[in-house]
Amino acid sequence: MLRFILRRILAMLPVLAIVLVVTFLATRALPGDPVLVMLSDHSSDAALAARLRADYGLDQPLWRQFLTYVLGALQGNFGLSFKYVRVPVVDVLKDGLAISPLLATAALALALPLGTLAGVIAAVKRNTSADTAIILVLVAGLSIPNFAIATFLVYLFSIKLALLPVAGWGRLDQAVLPIIILAIPSAAYIARLARTFMLEVLQQDYIRTARAKGLKDTLVIGRHALRNIMIPLLTSAGIIFGGLLSNTFVIETIFNIPGLGRIAIDSIFARDYPVAMAIVVLFTLFFIIINLAVDVAYALIDPRLRARMLAA
Amino acid sequence: MSNRIPGCYRPLGLAFFVVSALALGSGSLLAKSLRLNITADPAMIDPITYSEIVAGRVMRNIYEGFTEETPDGKIIPMLATSWEILPDGKGFRFNLRKGVTFHSGRPFTARDIKYTFETLLTPGMKGGLSASYLTTVIGAAEMKSGAAKDLEGVKVVDDHTLEVRFTKADVLFPIYPFQFMDSGIVTELGPDWMQKASAGTGPFKFKQWKRGVEVELDANNAYWGGAPKIDGLRFLVVPNADTALSQYDAGELDFLDVHESTFRRVLRDERYKDQLQKVGRAQSRYLGMNQNLYAPFKDKRVREAISLSLNRDAMIRGLYDGAGFPLNGVITPGVAGYNPDLPALKFDPERAKKLLTEAGFPEGKGMPPVDISGPAVSKDELTYYANQLNRVLGMQVNVTVIERATFIRSMNAGEVAFFPWAWTSGYPDALYYLAQMWYGPSPFNRPRWKNSDYDKVIEEAQGTFDDKARFALYHKAEKILMDDWGTAPLPMAASIALSKPNVTGASVTPFGFAPFKNVTIK
Repeated sequence: MLRFILRRILAMLPVLAIVLVVTFLATRALPGDPVLVMLSDHSSDAALAARLRADYGLDQPLWRQFLTYVLGALQGNFGLSFKYVRVPVVDVLKDGLAISPLLATAALALALPLGTLAGVIAAVKRNTSADTAIILVLVAGLSIPNFAIATFLVYLFSIKLALLPVAGWGRLDQAVLPIIILAIPSAAYIARLARTFMLEVLQQDYIRTARAKGLKDTLVIGRHALRNIMIPLLTSAGIIFGGLLSNTFVIETIFNIPGLGRIAIDSIFARDYPVAMAIVVLFTLFFIIINLAVDVAYALIDPRLRARMLAA
Repeated sequence: MSNRIPGCYRPLGLAFFVVSALALGSGSLLAKSLRLNITADPAMIDPITYSEIVAGRVMRNIYEGFTEETPDGKIIPMLATSWEILPDGKGFRFNLRKGVTFHSGRPFTARDIKYTFETLLTPGMKGGLSASYLTTVIGAAEMKSGAAKDLEGVKVVDDHTLEVRFTKADVLFPIYPFQFMDSGIVTELGPDWMQKASAGTGPFKFKQWKRGVEVELDANNAYWGGAPKIDGLRFLVVPNADTALSQYDAGELDFLDVHESTFRRVLRDERYKDQLQKVGRAQSRYLGMNQNLYAPFKDKRVREAISLSLNRDAMIRGLYDGAGFPLNGVITPGVAGYNPDLPALKFDPERAKKLLTEAGFPEGKGMPPVDISGPAVSKDELTYYANQLNRVLGMQVNVTVIERATFIRSMNAGEVAFFPWAWTSGYPDALYYLAQMWYGPSPFNRPRWKNSDYDKVIEEAQGTFDDKARFALYHKAEKILMDDWGTAPLPMAASIALSKPNVTGASVTPFGFAPFKNVTIK
């Protein structure tokens, strides 16, 4: 197993390397010299421009800048922020680092049981009005963009009913709406999966056997069927988690949450390239870790797969 | 490990945490701090590297200079109680306020001012905006190059008297927005002191900065002008304009700096009528016409025709979302030296056509096409000018959008033929506009308009200490510029703020927000 994990990690190194090269080149190729951006109105001050260029190492040849960047990044040092005077990128990011994964985890923890429950009910009561109603809600949850849902819920709960704060971060009540809104599309997606898997499982012989020996419906569904759909559901959770992580960009901007997503948006608008680059690298790392976790989960759950992977 | 908490007690710890978190949460609800929005984190919070607007909005409440402007644009003494010009006209003697202490408790003296100036000029200290106000001080160049460690032109006469000498007359020196800092702070707290404390004399002091969330200031109860009547200020970082407005609606903000993208909504909504503050910004907007780059601009009649073709009322209603004021010159009201008696700029398509015909371009015939350019944010505005000048004058104007920093560099280099731009005043005196935007040798004279009479008047004004006489020179200079149609002035943009009915004393001014020292919250 350890060998398998190690091999997966090795296979992901080229991905990381490519991301590093591409983000580095992209920020250098973008229109707008960062020194000119910093100077703004004072772009005719050549001495100041030269000093700034030297301060940020931008006077070095491109290959040396890249080398410095990669060597620094390997040690967790992403250089100095362009926007915040004298502040290392790491300090800009450190407070927000845990927020996006935390939001995504909370949303997943909410979406998984809710979605599963809705999907199971829809499958068990298939072709009834309950099934149709659930499917309608699912389609709505999947197709209404989350910024629209956010606007509506903020208007309802924060402005009309004054139950929850509009935005902010630091108190528990400020996290409620963002997590719910983040969870809605995932819950709908999980429900759709759960319904499909459940319909399939319900056709199986062992379910018929369980029913034939006189077990109650709740036991058949709860013990025999549910366990079998959890395997594919849990493995899709990895992919769903990745999607949630990307959605935090939108949610953090709307709810003014100082996570990586909002820092990314702010840094792009402020042309704080070192910060933006570090975030791209971090998100790449997150996704690599998720993929690795999914692969390992597959292997753990399905011994046949593990054998095949090890053999390959 | 011995300090490990046994498992059975862990829920207790959690309960304690939750209870104390709740207590803290409710505590902050009871405290009366003014909550307002800023669109981004400040880029810095120390008076040396200070160089951008958001930082300025926060820091005005922490730091003070010789003088300050009132919301209606008058200069009042702050840390200097009085000043006189030195006999040769090239320097000032400042009498400083006594009994003022810094947030650390140390007394404020003339030495702190000298320390602030020297630090601003020391290489490696990244002196920002304030350093640019020191260029005329004797010895500033030597300090900047590292050749000197002592700023020769600044002399500490005694604790409360300071003399500053210049290489050439600089009559506005007392009104430059300096932020004097405590010379003992670095010794006390180290070079990253700004993350722990503030070093000013102002009505509020630094409490904490949660990046991406808020900057919190506490009232300075030892403030020389009297302790503020509120507990503190909370600048909430809210980049999204709609979120900020919703937070104001829900009562999470007491004072809202309204973002341009929500101007129309706020101006049309009856609910806000009694909470609204609308003020023209200290920002001179103009159309730059570079005569070296586009031959027809050499003819004064063409320049006048362009100004006559602009429907400024329609621009305020449309392009400015209703948040604008007409301006008939290049000096904005609220800035000393403004001339309220300038003739109104008219929209007169007939006369514009006639002038263009006289210049040899009937209905625009014979005029080569010209590019009007600007950064992406001015897209709509550029399109308006291109369309309007084509409709009224038959000119062929193409819209070109250029990346902002590149565009500014080209303007500074005098390489842009035709562009709308705006210049925000750094202090409340019209010389800022006149000497930077239109004075021949200025690097910021971006349209490269040149007039030797104008330059002479400006040089005279720079050495005229008496306000009345100087303002008369400003009016003369502005008239020279306008009579020559050196530019087509554009309407002023407004700043809009909303203030909750239970808040008094919070006001938006042409220069942003007035310091919040007199705010009360009921």
